[in-house]
Amino acid sequence: MVEGDGYLVRLMDLGLERLKKMIMDIGEYSAKTVFLAIDSYSQGEDLMDHLYIRSNEIRKMYDEVNELAVELIARYQPVASDLRFIKSCLEIGYGFLRFSRYAFDISQVLRIFGEMTSCDKSNVIRVGEHVKEMVKKSIEAFVNRDINLAKKVKEMDVFVDKTYLDALKMASNSKNVKCTISEVLILRYLERIADHATYIADSVTYIISGERVTN
Amino acid sequence: MIGKKSVSVEKEIDRIRSLYKIETENLNAWFGNKHVLKDISLKIRVNAVTAVIGPSGCGKSTFIRCLNRMHELVPSARVEGKVLLDGVNIYSREIDPVLVRRRIGMVFQKPNPFPMMSIFDNVAAGLKLNGVRDRKRLYEIVKRSLEQAWLWDEVKNDLDKSGASLSGGQQQRLCIARALAVEPEVLLLDEPTSALDPIAASKIEQLIVSLKKNYTIVIVTHNMQQAARVSDYTAFLYLGKLIEYDETSRIFSNPKEELTENYIAGRFG
Repeated sequence: MVEGDGYLVRLMDLGLERLKKMIMDIGEYSAKTVFLAIDSYSQGEDLMDHLYIRSNEIRKMYDEVNELAVELIARYQPVASDLRFIKSCLEIGYGFLRFSRYAFDISQVLRIFGEMTSCDKSNVIRVGEHVKEMVKKSIEAFVNRDINLAKKVKEMDVFVDKTYLDALKMASNSKNVKCTISEVLILRYLERIADHATYIADSVTYIISGERVTN
Repeated sequence: MIGKKSVSVEKEIDRIRSLYKIETENLNAWFGNKHVLKDISLKIRVNAVTAVIGPSGCGKSTFIRCLNRMHELVPSARVEGKVLLDGVNIYSREIDPVLVRRRIGMVFQKPNPFPMMSIFDNVAAGLKLNGVRDRKRLYEIVKRSLEQAWLWDEVKNDLDKSGASLSGGQQQRLCIARALAVEPEVLLLDEPTSALDPIAASKIEQLIVSLKKNYTIVIVTHNMQQAARVSDYTAFLYLGKLIEYDETSRIFSNPKEELTENYIAGRFG
C-alpha cells in the first residue's frame, strides 16, 4: 500500500494513529477535569467525589496507552521519530494522569477547608485561568505538532512559579490561617499542573525535533 | 615553544589516526560503466562494529569488497579513490592485495566451509597456505580460533568430521573461525546471518559484539534491528552515495537526514 507522497503505509502506522487518538482523548478528558477543579474553587462547589471518579478513569485510560505503546514496540521495533513519538506519548499520558491527580487534590482542599467565601480568591482565580490556558495550549501543541506553541507554554510557566513563590513567602505574615493555607496549597497544585503542561510541551518539541529541551 | 607545539600536534594527529582503522577517501567503484559507489569518505573506528545499511543495490557489498580489494577480482570492476588501512593506502602500487586480504578477513552471506575438508582442516586451511606446518601449533591456533568463534565446545570431539556436517549456524561460525585463524585485524561480514534461523543469528550477533574487543568489524546487513543491536556506528548508503554516518544510537533515535529516517522506519526499501 502506498500513500500519496509515495511512502508505504506501514502496519505500525495504524497503531500509531490509534495511540495518537487515545492521547488526544485522555488529554481532553484530563483538561476538563482540571477546569472543573479550578472552577469548583472559584464557585465554592465540592466536586471531590466526582473528580475522584474522573481521576480513576484517567488512570485506566493511561494504562491502555501504556499497553498499546508496549505492544507497538514489541511488534514493530520502531526507530527514530516513531520511537520518539511512542516514548513521548507515554510521557504525555503520564502528564495527563498527573493533571487529574492534582485536580483531585484541589477538590480535596475544598472538602477539608469547607466554606471559604470570606477568603480573597483573586490570586488563585488569576493563576487558575492562566494554568487552564497552559493546559489547553499543551494539548493543542501535541495535536498540531506545533513547536512554537510548545515554546509559548514554557514561557507561560514563569508567571505561575513566581506567583506561587510570592504567595509562599507572604504566607508567614498572614493572620488568616485557613485562607492562606488553602490558597498556598492550591497554588502549589496549580504550579505542579503548569509544570506538567510544560513537560508535555517539551515532549512535543522532542517528537518533532529529536532534541531534548534543556532548562 | 613552537617545536613543542608541533610535537604535540603530531601526537594529536597520531592519536586521532589511531582511533580509525580504515579510512576511505572519495572512494568510487564501477562495474563496467555502472557507477556503483560515489565518493564515499568515511572513517571506520578501531575495535568497534560499523554497520553498513541501505536498500538492495545501494552498494553496501561493493563497499566492503573495496575495503579488502575483492571488488577488483570481478572482471570489468574498477576502483578509484583511497582506502587507508592504518594510514596506508591499500590501493598503492607497492601493496600486495593478498597481504591486504590476510589483514582484512571476510565472511559471506552463505556459510561456505570447504565441503571436502574436516572441521579442523577448514580452520587450518589459511594457516597451511601461509606455511604453518607444525601440528601442535596448528592445533593451538585451530582451538583458539574455534573458541573465539564460540564453536569449540560444540565440535571439539568431531574435529575430523566434515565441515559440511554442521548446522547452518555452526557452519557460519566455522567460517568466522577460519577467518580468525590467520589473525586478521579487520573482519568484514557480508550479511552473515541472512541465511540463518533466528537462534543461530542471535549467536552470531553475540559473537560479533564479543569479537570487537580484538578486531575492527564492518558488517553489511539488511536487517535494521540487527544493525541497531550489534553496531556502534552505522553508515547508510543510498544509490551508491553515503547519506549519513553516525553513532548507531543517533542514527536509530534521531537521524539527521530525512532519507535515513524514512529508510530505517520502513517507509521505503
